[in-house]
Amino acid sequence: MNKMVQFGGVLISMLRLLSPPPAVAEEGIPIGVAGPFTGAYAAFGEQLWRGAEQAANDINAAGGINGKKIELFKGDDACEPKQALAVANQLVDRHGVRAVIGHFCSSSTIPASEVYAEAGILHITPASTNPMVTERGITTLFRTCGRDDQQGSTGANFIVNTLKANAIAVIHDKDTYGQGLADAMRTQLQRLGKKEVLYEGLTRGEKDFNALVTKFKSVNAEAVYFGGLHNEAGPLVRQMKEQGLKAPLVSGDGIVSEEFVIAAGGPAYAEGVYMTFGRDPRKIKEGQEVVDRLRKSGFEPEGYTLYSYATMQIVAAAIAATRGTDGAALAKWLHTHDVPTVMGSKGWDEKGDLKTSDYVMYRWNNKGSYEEVP
Amino acid sequence: MRRLLLHPLVTAILVLILTAPIAGLVLDGYTFNLHWQPPLGLALTALILHLVINLVRAWRSAQGGAWSVTHGPIPVPSHPALLRTFRILLLLSCLVLPFLLNKYWLTVAILALIYVLLALGLNIVVGLAGMLDLGFVAFYAVGAYGYALGHEYLGLGFWSALPLGAFLAAGFGVVLGFPVLRMHGDYLAIVTLGFGEIIRLVLNNWTEFTGGPNGVRVAFPSLPGLEFSRKAKEGNIAFHEWLGIDYSANHRIMFMYLILFLVVLLIMFLVTRLKKMPLGRSWEALREDEIACRSLGINHVTVKLSAFAMGAMIGGIGGVFFAASQGFVNPTSFTFFESALILAIVVLGGLGSIPGVIIAAIVLTVLPELLRDFSDYRILVFGLAMVGMMIWRPRGLVRARRPVFQGRQG
Amino acid sequence: MEPSILAQQAVNGLILGATYGLIAIGYTMVYGIIGMINFAHGEIYMVSAYLTAIFLAVLHFFGITSIPVVLIVVLVATLCITALHGWFVERIAYRPLRDSNRLAPLITAIGLSLILQNYVRLSQGARSQGVPTLLTGSFVIPAGSGVIQITHVQALIIVVAIASMAVLTFIMHRTSLGRACRATEQDRVMASLLGINTDYIISVVFVIGAAMAAIAGVLVSLNYGSFDFHIGFITGIKAFTAAVLGGIGSLPGAMLGGLILGLSESFFSGFVNTDYKDVFAFALLVLVLIFRPSGLLGQPLVTKV
Repeated sequence: MNKMVQFGGVLISMLRLLSPPPAVAEEGIPIGVAGPFTGAYAAFGEQLWRGAEQAANDINAAGGINGKKIELFKGDDACEPKQALAVANQLVDRHGVRAVIGHFCSSSTIPASEVYAEAGILHITPASTNPMVTERGITTLFRTCGRDDQQGSTGANFIVNTLKANAIAVIHDKDTYGQGLADAMRTQLQRLGKKEVLYEGLTRGEKDFNALVTKFKSVNAEAVYFGGLHNEAGPLVRQMKEQGLKAPLVSGDGIVSEEFVIAAGGPAYAEGVYMTFGRDPRKIKEGQEVVDRLRKSGFEPEGYTLYSYATMQIVAAAIAATRGTDGAALAKWLHTHDVPTVMGSKGWDEKGDLKTSDYVMYRWNNKGSYEEVP
Repeated sequence: MRRLLLHPLVTAILVLILTAPIAGLVLDGYTFNLHWQPPLGLALTALILHLVINLVRAWRSAQGGAWSVTHGPIPVPSHPALLRTFRILLLLSCLVLPFLLNKYWLTVAILALIYVLLALGLNIVVGLAGMLDLGFVAFYAVGAYGYALGHEYLGLGFWSALPLGAFLAAGFGVVLGFPVLRMHGDYLAIVTLGFGEIIRLVLNNWTEFTGGPNGVRVAFPSLPGLEFSRKAKEGNIAFHEWLGIDYSANHRIMFMYLILFLVVLLIMFLVTRLKKMPLGRSWEALREDEIACRSLGINHVTVKLSAFAMGAMIGGIGGVFFAASQGFVNPTSFTFFESALILAIVVLGGLGSIPGVIIAAIVLTVLPELLRDFSDYRILVFGLAMVGMMIWRPRGLVRARRPVFQGRQG
Repeated sequence: MEPSILAQQAVNGLILGATYGLIAIGYTMVYGIIGMINFAHGEIYMVSAYLTAIFLAVLHFFGITSIPVVLIVVLVATLCITALHGWFVERIAYRPLRDSNRLAPLITAIGLSLILQNYVRLSQGARSQGVPTLLTGSFVIPAGSGVIQITHVQALIIVVAIASMAVLTFIMHRTSLGRACRATEQDRVMASLLGINTDYIISVVFVIGAAMAAIAGVLVSLNYGSFDFHIGFITGIKAFTAAVLGGIGSLPGAMLGGLILGLSESFFSGFVNTDYKDVFAFALLVLVLIFRPSGLLGQPLVTKV
């Protein structure tokens, strides 16, 4: 028995000795950028990385944050929750990051955010729009994009009021993001006194949706709403056109990428597809210089690139103002201050959502790019 | 001499033709960019590799030795005292491990132990009973969701979920076992694969009950009256306050590791014992010759079912631990790739060999994490390692040893 | 039930099923000859989709635009290079393990499919890629109060699938190569004693399987217009299911299995629920195997004592 107590004492002293927080590099401020850099959604990961990298370079060139340089660490989650957790632990424990920008897919952001919250690290996602992300009471979590319920209602209002559609088919890709969007659409349709004629999920990674398209015909859908990403939206719209369906496809920000045009088989198929997205960040005047710089480096800052750039600016501003990297202090500062960014001034409510969101409707044209619906 | 030099050259040319379009002409929208270096590089690598292999072969045959010597099993030290010391040392070092690792490596260690558990389970089905199961992930998912949903709807804690998950998975094993008993080898494989996919799809589609793609959050395990959180719920004490030390998220993970380690030891003991018992022997006998077994009066239905249920049960326990360690389960963790990975562990470990399976499980879970720094090439290297190891040791790392009866006189 | 909708769903199912069937042939032939599941076969199909887009881009670069010429050149080139991939798979993953336990090649094949996937991803990028639309327009057949639409590419799929099945059946049953294949399939040792180079025959089978997957790859890319390095997996599993459904080892079985799978997916999705169409497909497979343990057209396994 005596030996047991002794052994316990040794264990406890070992516990104390061996679990200090990871050492922080003195020279720079390590910041993690997490997203799908491999896998089917790597295009979005690249947008996040390019934006954050450009912002870090610009800030470092201007002298860093309080004289310290930003060091970026890449964490690849491939949009899989299990990998997201591993990446989050790796960023926190091995690289000792002081703030994290990212995770693209909401299904990755949600589990990873728990790791960051537990480590007391500021976590800002530039792209995860699922309401659940900020609904779980994590105080150190923010986002610089809108929410799917806002996006869904913009979409629903457009379908009902502008397109004057009565029979609406709602389709999703059975993932957190897509299904969240579809559910938001359903709720708003109900509020507008409409009920969808079809609510079904297709399988990510498949290409043949002909059976579904024929089903649209059989229920006489006048508009089709799709919650999901471009990899599936492309073939879907192509098959709708091939079967001679007149109903327009409306979708969310998951198809904001030139890849959508390729996935659809050319501008001819993509033309006439509507989508909701924040006011085009490339057209905001504060960002013109950055847009030019990115374009010069051969990267078109579409989709979430500027969101990611702005997020890095926000992190830097908070660290500069609080003169520290404690997550709680940074969060407190962000809750009470507005930050000027390439996308204009941003402020947050108590949940960590943006105070103002500005979803507008875009339409893909016959040249393979999108323009705002007047 | 012709073989020595000409064959590598032919290989290089073939590799060049093979890789020229994919690696050399990179698509950019509907046009392409020419990259001539990658195919040439690959062809050159193939040339050198083939040349080296040929040289080694030539050298070996010049030495007079048969070149298949390396295909034998790794010699296991047979000195009993030495073996025992080694085992005790290994055990101790595994117990001390959580105090030496940081949180990241600790989570990797936990994942490795979970795979050891899963591989031990699948080893019974594939290695001992000889039934190819490509849907083992189904039982893993049943265990994980058993805990997650039990916690969500019934408020079950970790300790009650552990037996529940195990029995639930075993029950699924029996239910699946009945129809598939009539099938042979590869038909069994595809049916189990189908079953695994059905479970995953149902978990993903049945949003009202399982949360669909959003998954279910899972509580971390605790001891009765003791919690591993920053602030304990009413009536409980937080672990760090109890010991009077600072709060660290590591404690919870260390705790996880230690329980998991004990469970793995227990299961290992169980499986080693089972192998020597009549049941285990009939599993192996049935694998070798079903007709002979049936004519000797072994009830093949119960024997096969028991193997399925045992394997499933261990898989279910692995699932409960997976859910507990992740704090979150969602269907993407239970894809066919996971089944394939567990199968790879079992085959690589040497079908039926317990130490081999453990080594393989650790290698195949730690390797991808070690490779995380080469993020882009991670899976590629992993695949190469899988192919390389299999060709190097087609019978697995450690050859399974049959229990041998020794005569009284020795 | 609206007849035009019913017919349209049947057309959808047939086209999907034809592509499954073409890919399933690769699984079934390999299984027939060496009794092993070639898990890298789905990736071979994925590679062929990339090759299609690459050769289309190359032809476009050289200014060749005549559609029949483009189609034939792309088909032949893709077929050759994909077949070479099939040969390499056999060489690396199967031949070194010819006489080891039955599961070892399964694992090398899984490893190889990871390699192929990531080789393509690293070379071509993770973005989804596409092929420009070559054939537009469709046949519109009035039915009932609605119409059935079959695009020209879809019609091409049916025609090519039938033609390649016919050619393959001819090769297997009327040529000496086919005879050697069947002999090796029945008894490899005896075949080699009778002077058949069985290693060569096994390679040929892998090459033929890959060629069929290449045909499917070209047609599917033209039909759906886009693909990424992930497509091999889902399609591979479906095609494998089709092969088992029809009775693995049987050529007409592979086609039949593909068509049944395609039709059942299409009808279930169209008239019941898209969410559960894969559940239905797998459940169908399990049911068929319970009542016919060697698939629809498979040879029942005779165990000799």
